[in-house]
Amino acid sequence: MTSSRAHEVLYESEAALRLVDQELSGLHDVRDVSPAVPTISLADLPNILEQANAQILNVLARLRESRAALQTTALERLQTTHEKIREVTSATEDAAINIMDACDRATQMVDELDAIDADAAPDREKASGIRATLRDELFLMMGALQFQDITSQQLAHASSVLVDMEERLLEVARLFDHNVDFTHTLRVSGAPDEKTYDPNATTRNAEGRQALADELFTSVKAPAA
Amino acid sequence: MKFLVVDDSATMRRIVINSLQRIGFNDTVEAGDGQEALAKFDSSVKFIITDWNMPNMTGTEFTKVLRSRDDGRHVPVLMVTARSVKEDILTAMEAGVNNYIVKPFTPQVLKEKIDALLPAAAA
Repeated sequence: MTSSRAHEVLYESEAALRLVDQELSGLHDVRDVSPAVPTISLADLPNILEQANAQILNVLARLRESRAALQTTALERLQTTHEKIREVTSATEDAAINIMDACDRATQMVDELDAIDADAAPDREKASGIRATLRDELFLMMGALQFQDITSQQLAHASSVLVDMEERLLEVARLFDHNVDFTHTLRVSGAPDEKTYDPNATTRNAEGRQALADELFTSVKAPAA
Repeated sequence: MKFLVVDDSATMRRIVINSLQRIGFNDTVEAGDGQEALAKFDSSVKFIITDWNMPNMTGTEFTKVLRSRDDGRHVPVLMVTARSVKEDILTAMEAGVNNYIVKPFTPQVLKEKIDALLPAAAA
C-alpha cells in the first residue's frame, strides 16, 4: 500500500469512526435523557448497524467528492498562487536592486558635479549634461516602483485563493460537525474585491506583452478618438 | 491640455503624473476609480489615462459610460493596466479604449502612445 493510499484509508477510517461514535453517543444520550425510551434489543442491532453503514457510505462518498474537488482545482490554484508569491519576492528584490543601482549612479554624478563646482573654471556644459542624466536616473527609480501596484494585485489574488480554500475546508469540516463556526472566516473579515486585481498580473515579459497589445491594436481597427 | 489620470493605486497615479510632467503636461486631475473619474470629467479634460482593475467602477466600465455621453464620445482614452491576455485587450478595445499600455511601462512607451493620440485630443 502506498503512503498516499494509506493516508486515504486512515482518513476514511477516522471519518467512519467519528460517525459511529456520534451514532453511539446519540443512543447513549437518548437513554440518559428519556428513560421512557425502550431498551434496544439485540434483534434491532442489524437495523441500526445497517443505518449507520448507509450514513457512513454517504459521508464517505461526499468526502471523496470534496477530496476530488480539492485535488483538481484547489491544489492547482494553490500551486499557481505559490508561484505568484515567489514572483512577488523576486519582483520586490529586482526593484530594490534597480533602485540601489540607480542610487549608486546618482551619488557618483553628484560627486562629479561637486568636483566641477570646486574647479576654478567650472565646465557648465558638462555639469548640465550630468544634471540631465541625473534626472533620468531619478525618473528610473520612480518607474521601478511600478512593481508595487503589480505585486499588490498578486497578493490580492493569493488572498482570494486562501479565502476560497478556507471555505472548502469549512465545508468538509461541516460534514463532521454542523455547528462549525462560519462567523469568523476570512471572507467575513474582508476578502479582496475581485474588481481590484488581475489574477494574471505579472512584472515579467512586459515588452512581449506590450508587443501583443500593439499588434492587436494595429491589426484590429481600434476605435477612432 | 488637461489629463485625467484614473488609478486606484496612489503610487501609479504619481508615476503617471510625474511622467506626464516630464514630457510637458502639467495640467492633471486624478481619480481613484471610474465613479470618481466620471464625477471629475468635464469638457476641459482632453485626455484620459485609466487603469482597468479598480473598485466600484473598472476602467472598461468607465470607458463604456464615457462613450455613451456626448461630451465623452471622442476624448482619447489610454488604458494602462497589468491585464495583458488577448481577450482582455480586445475587451478594452470594444469598450472604446483608443490605445493600451501594459504595466510595468517605460516613459518612452507612454510618450509614444500619447503622441499618437494627441491629434485627436487637440481636435
